[in-house]
This record gives sequence, structure tokens and C-alpha cells, in this order.
Amino acid sequence: MPCVKVTAGVVIDFDGRARTLLDALEQQKLTVNFQCREGYCGACRCKLLSGAVSYINEPLAFVRKGEFLPCCSTPDTDIEIEIP
Amino acid sequence: MAYTTFNRQINDQMKEPMFFGNPVNVSRYDQQKYGIFEKLIEKQLSFFWRPEEVDVSKDRIDYQNLPEHEKHIFISNLKYQTLLDSVQGRSPNVAFLPIVSLPELETWIETWAFSETIHSRSYTHIVRNISAEPHKVFDDIMLNERILERADDVTRYYDALIDGINLYQRCGEGTHTINGQSHSISLYELKRRLYLCVMSVNVLEAIRFYVSFACSFAFAERELMEGNAKIIRLIARDEALHLTGTQHMLNIMAAGDDDPDMAKIAKECEEEAYAIFRKAAEQEKDWAEYLFKDGSMIGLNKDILCQYVEYITNSRMQAIGMKAIFSTTQNPIPWINTWLVSDNVQVAPQEAEISSYLVGQIDNEVDGGDFGDFDL
Repeated sequence: MPCVKVTAGVVIDFDGRARTLLDALEQQKLTVNFQCREGYCGACRCKLLSGAVSYINEPLAFVRKGEFLPCCSTPDTDIEIEIP
Repeated sequence: MAYTTFNRQINDQMKEPMFFGNPVNVSRYDQQKYGIFEKLIEKQLSFFWRPEEVDVSKDRIDYQNLPEHEKHIFISNLKYQTLLDSVQGRSPNVAFLPIVSLPELETWIETWAFSETIHSRSYTHIVRNISAEPHKVFDDIMLNERILERADDVTRYYDALIDGINLYQRCGEGTHTINGQSHSISLYELKRRLYLCVMSVNVLEAIRFYVSFACSFAFAERELMEGNAKIIRLIARDEALHLTGTQHMLNIMAAGDDDPDMAKIAKECEEEAYAIFRKAAEQEKDWAEYLFKDGSMIGLNKDILCQYVEYITNSRMQAIGMKAIFSTTQNPIPWINTWLVSDNVQVAPQEAEISSYLVGQIDNEVDGGDFGDFDL
């Protein structure tokens, strides 16, 4: 069960109750910007400080190095992220 | 290098740059230099919709009952959007098609511009429904100072690029005397105009539409003008995709692998790019002031809308690797996100697999333990 550390000090266990990282963050009442929720708009872009994620569907939005889209991804390992 | 609709030169399209290489000859998609544009085309096609599918008949009653200052907000936004989509429905084709060199990008540009023409048609659908005299609404667009002054910034970069392309394709690089007037053009200057044009289009689709979107959804939050809001959601969904398209182009240009000149130009134009964003944000804030000049609407006022402009400008700039220019970090109208989610865009169940129906409804996990109390 990978754990998700958010720079604000919150630690979330990604235990399968949430389908995506965005769902998991929202369940913890963290505000993440979002729009399409399927990877084509890029509104939910967050920084991936450590660890790895994999995409449920490969996103169409441009994702820079060190960034990821929580709306269509799940963590592979423990990850540390920063919400802009 | 005059433009030809069917370039006879046998070339390897995988080695062409996005723009200013050989004109495309065969529209082939078996090999793609940038597969992302093909994916964008597929996505855009899957989004296809027609304005007539959306019932806007209740909006007529709603509109008649709106107080005058809210009618002003509603109809002014519609006029402004009509202008934006008029430009966007034609300009990508006119400006980019003569210089594009990749089949998948050429088709993306055509697909993109086509979807803008649907937006234009949807405004007529809305206006016809709410007004007995739709011609008055459209006639006013060309007379409205507030709209025209922004039209200049929306179209200037397109026009400069198109003008340069005409000269370059007719006469080539150098200084030419045409009708007694001297004009000079270089390929490098053309590339610079292209970069600034794509940047300005990116700003148009990233920021300029969103003030109107916010107002439309603010009406719909009060259960007013809901047919209009449904159409705006479909438009917003398309625009998010177009924005992704221009962001990809800008990022590919800035990376320089595609055309080293473009990376150099991206650096040289950095200051101008910031200026384009800043000016668009200021103009949208002025527009917010004009919209609310006779009074605010419930849930939205000038200050909130201006904060939203700042917030969205920051986030769009960061998406293409620029620094935020405003101090606003929080979305002042978080409720707008639920209106922008594509899952909530209504699609007839027989037409598509709606992912929201599938999420978490059935537990597909089966292991040995589940058969524990099962006897034969």
C-alpha cells in the first residue's frame, strides 16, 4: 500500500478506496484544481518530488519533468508531492 | 518557395519540422512524428456535438425575467464569445495551414478550427432563442467599442504572420518593392511571428474565454439560463483540448529538437510572451468591470472575477514553464470546476460509456476466500 506524502504535512495511505490520486487527495479535503478529470486539460498538474506514479490512461496534456497529473494516475511507490 | 497544395517533392515527413519545412503532400498517419496531435484529433472527434441537440427553450423565459443589468452581462458575454470564435474558426486555417509540414499537425489544425465553427453556430442558436430580433445582437458586435478594442489584440499576431507568409511565399526572403512600397521578410522573422501568434492563441483559449464561462455558470448555479450553460460546458470541454494543443506546440518549439531556431526565438521572445499574458489579463479585468458596471450578479462580482482572471492566468503560465505574475494562489470560485468536469457533460447512455457509472459500482476482486462457505 503506497503512501502519499503531501508537502503541507498530510500523509495519505493509497489503499484502493480511491480510484485516482486526485480522488484520494480530495477525500482528505485537500483542494486541487481540476477540470476534465481525464488527463487532457492538465489543470490538476502537481509536482512529484519523489517516487513514481503510473497512469490509468496516458494523459494528453503536456506533463513536464517532475510533474504529474493526479486525475488519471495511481502511485507505484511511496510518493511525495506538492500541490501548487 | 511558393505554396503548393500537393508538394511533388518526395520527402520523409518524419524528418520535417512542425512548420516551415516541406508542405505536406500525402495525408498519412501511419507514421507520426508527434503522436500527440493524432490523439488530440481522436479526442476532438469523440467530443462531436451539435448545438441543436441542446434544448434552450426554457432560457427564453429566464432571460425575459432577468433584471436589465444581468441581461447586459449575459448578452455582452455572448457577443464577445461570438467575436472570439469568429476569429478562431478561420484564423488557424488561414495562418497555419500554408506553413505546416506534418500531416498529423495539419489535420489537428483543421479539426480544431472546425470545432470552433460549431461554437459560432451555437451562439446563433442561443441568440435566436432568447431574442425576437437576433440581428440586433449580431449587428452590435461590430459597433461595440469594448469588444472591438480587444479584437485588435486577438487578431494582431495572426495578421502579422499571415502578411509575412504571403510576402515570403510570393517573393522569398529579402527586401521587395510592391506597389512602390518596400517590404522585407526573413524566415527567422516569420518564425518569430509564428511563435508569438501561437502564444497569443494560447492566451486567447486559456484566459479570454474563461470570464464568460464563469458568468454563464454563475447564472446556471441559480438555475437560470441552463440550456446556455449546457452549451458552454461543451464549448469549455473543446477549448480545454485546444489549449492542450497549443501548449504542446509551444513546448515542442521551446525544446528546440524540432527546429533549433524556435528554441532561440522562444528565449528571445520571453519578455514579449509575459507582456501578452499580462495585457490579456488586464483586458479581461477591464471587461469584468464593464460587465458589472450597472450592478453585480448573485455569486459573482467584479472583484471575484478579477481574482479568477489572476488565478487562471498564473496557472496557464505555469503550464508552459513561465512564472506566475499575480499573487493570487487560490481559486476564488471553486464551484466552477464542477461545471467544467467533462464527466458531468451529459451524453446519452447509448452513445458513450459514461465513466461515472462505472466507478466503484462493482467489486471485481474475487479470491479463494470468497468461496469459503460454498458447499457442493
